[in-house]
Amino acid sequence: MSVTRRTILAGAAAGTATLAFPNVVLGKGEPIRVGTIPPITGPQALNGEEEVEGAQYAAEEINSRPGKCFDDRPIELVIEDATSDNQAAVGALNKLLGENVVAVVQPVLSTQIQAMAPVMQKAGLPWMTGGTAVKNTQLGLRNLFRCRASDAITAHGLVDFAVKEKGLKKIGILHASEAFGVGGADQVETALKTYNLKAVAREGFPANTKDFTPELLKIKSAGAEAIIAYVQNPSDSAVILDQYKSLNLTSIAFIGSPAVGNPTALNTAKTAADGIYVAQDFIIGFNSNVATKFITNFYRKYHKQPDVGTGQGWTRDAFLLLADTYKRIGTTDPAKTVEALHQTKHWEGVLGDFTCDTEGNLVHNMSIGLVKSSKVSLVKTVKVTV
Amino acid sequence: MFDPSATLQLIVSGLAMGSIYALVALGFILIYNAVGVVNFAQGDFVMFPSYIAVSFVLPSVIVFGTVVHWQLPLIATYLLVLILMAAFGLLFNRIAYYPLRDRGWLPVVISTIGVSIFLRNLAQLIWGSQPIVFPSLFGDASLSAGNLHFRPQDLLILGVAGILIVFQYGLFEWTSLGKQMRATAQDRATAQLLGIRVDRIVAITFIYSVLLGAIAGLLVSPIFTVTKEMGGLISLKAFAASIVGGFGSIPGAIIGGLLIGVVENLGGFYISTAYKDAIAFVILIAVLLIRPSGLFGERVSEKA
Repeated sequence: MSVTRRTILAGAAAGTATLAFPNVVLGKGEPIRVGTIPPITGPQALNGEEEVEGAQYAAEEINSRPGKCFDDRPIELVIEDATSDNQAAVGALNKLLGENVVAVVQPVLSTQIQAMAPVMQKAGLPWMTGGTAVKNTQLGLRNLFRCRASDAITAHGLVDFAVKEKGLKKIGILHASEAFGVGGADQVETALKTYNLKAVAREGFPANTKDFTPELLKIKSAGAEAIIAYVQNPSDSAVILDQYKSLNLTSIAFIGSPAVGNPTALNTAKTAADGIYVAQDFIIGFNSNVATKFITNFYRKYHKQPDVGTGQGWTRDAFLLLADTYKRIGTTDPAKTVEALHQTKHWEGVLGDFTCDTEGNLVHNMSIGLVKSSKVSLVKTVKVTV
Repeated sequence: MFDPSATLQLIVSGLAMGSIYALVALGFILIYNAVGVVNFAQGDFVMFPSYIAVSFVLPSVIVFGTVVHWQLPLIATYLLVLILMAAFGLLFNRIAYYPLRDRGWLPVVISTIGVSIFLRNLAQLIWGSQPIVFPSLFGDASLSAGNLHFRPQDLLILGVAGILIVFQYGLFEWTSLGKQMRATAQDRATAQLLGIRVDRIVAITFIYSVLLGAIAGLLVSPIFTVTKEMGGLISLKAFAASIVGGFGSIPGAIIGGLLIGVVENLGGFYISTAYKDAIAFVILIAVLLIRPSGLFGERVSEKA
């Protein structure tokens, strides 16, 4: 390469600018714009509310630590409303991508993840998601990461618990008839096959169902000893549990997916939830120092208990892992960040150990808890080694 | 395979749900008969009073981000909610219908859709996204009679719906107000010529219709939990019920509601729960194919 007068002048100009305005030229102190796209309005607005709180909590945690992300650069949240509709979610994502963001955190709804996947594949930005449908990480997106245990892990954990621990072999499945519920029910059936068992009943219910009598009675009539329920919406969980109790079905064990044990669901169900088992990404009082610190600080800020699994907890972990990855590689370059995230090993989050597998799954453990007085106590932890 | 005890259970729970559909369907019919439009905000008249009620009755509720502790007695809360919703019915009439009354049916229908969207968003703004539990008059206990299990609230729903249906029959058949409402529904111009103050009667019909939604909301909130979506599916089924019964027919709305409530439960159990909601609409299509005017509706020629 020949050194010309133009090259020397350009170098000198850059050097002078660096000395005069170091923060601007090197990006020091410049905010890192991370997009987040929760469902702020519509039927899933509760999830959205929790996820916004998780994102704001995470940004505060990152921005208050020395050096912030790296080079004193804080996280700046860019929030768009995914609503509860797939088409609107894709529209909101396109808007978000036009706002100069370097990564996207959310959604938690698998159906929205699958709808957004083609756009995000093209964008190539690191994409931290919370949807648990197994298919999400099998869509062929190297930039997609799942920050919660997949339904495969949860369903196997639930089935192992019912069959091995409790000796219940006649399993009825109750599930929401959307991507999450159907995916979860499929995984329960797959897990049952490992014990040469078949579900005695599989009952799906449409969104906003208010009377679950036919579903519950059908499962009872099939002779089920346990109901494994994949339910997304906390108010659905509360209504199901109320009817499960009022129909006097409590002799059939009830084992629910993480959303059934969501604090909102349990506070709404009240005593109807007593005695049920739930899969949990996290159980208060039984996890790491990171989790204990999160719970304490979150309570101080919002005066309520966070939903660590489906709401604030995983969102906080997604942002913190991104920030730590930026710090590790010293850049926010999307391609380099994606590769660095794939190298994640034993990073400690609120949900436990984060280690990336070939599909982009980061969390490989879940717990089973017993509910009493709207509180969950640990019964068993299930870990899957990668 | 026929299961008698499950069938009985499904019928009881189907009748309770069907009574709610019937009350909401009556609200649809009354406004349709009075002004010739479908009120798409009828489901939100189930939701909104339920939120108002929980704000008054619970020990603490977050309203506009502030915790309130009104905790009024349940019966006082019911009365207060009904008074407030009656005022709201009048407001709804004056804002969403009255200014548009001479511009055809479409602007009024769009206006009701606007009210529906407004109420849902207002509910989220005021009360947030958390589902809220409304206490039942009878607590959480359930009752049993042999293999039949039910909540006391289900009996209350059936009882109140029954009383309201009888009350409505009496109102329309034996009172001057009811006769004026019927006359206005049948022919507004002639009613006006006969000295009936049509605008006032229409406003009363709106208030009554909103109150029917409010009563349905107060009845179902203890078993549904209060969410801003709670009225959505109910109003859709109620709409189907009113068409099955014959749009415009009061007995038709009642029978249609009960029929849909029971058949969707039995269909869910004996056919498929995944298609339980579809069953209501299959009934709707079947009735429209066999008898387009609905079970109790007048034939078009008779109406003309």
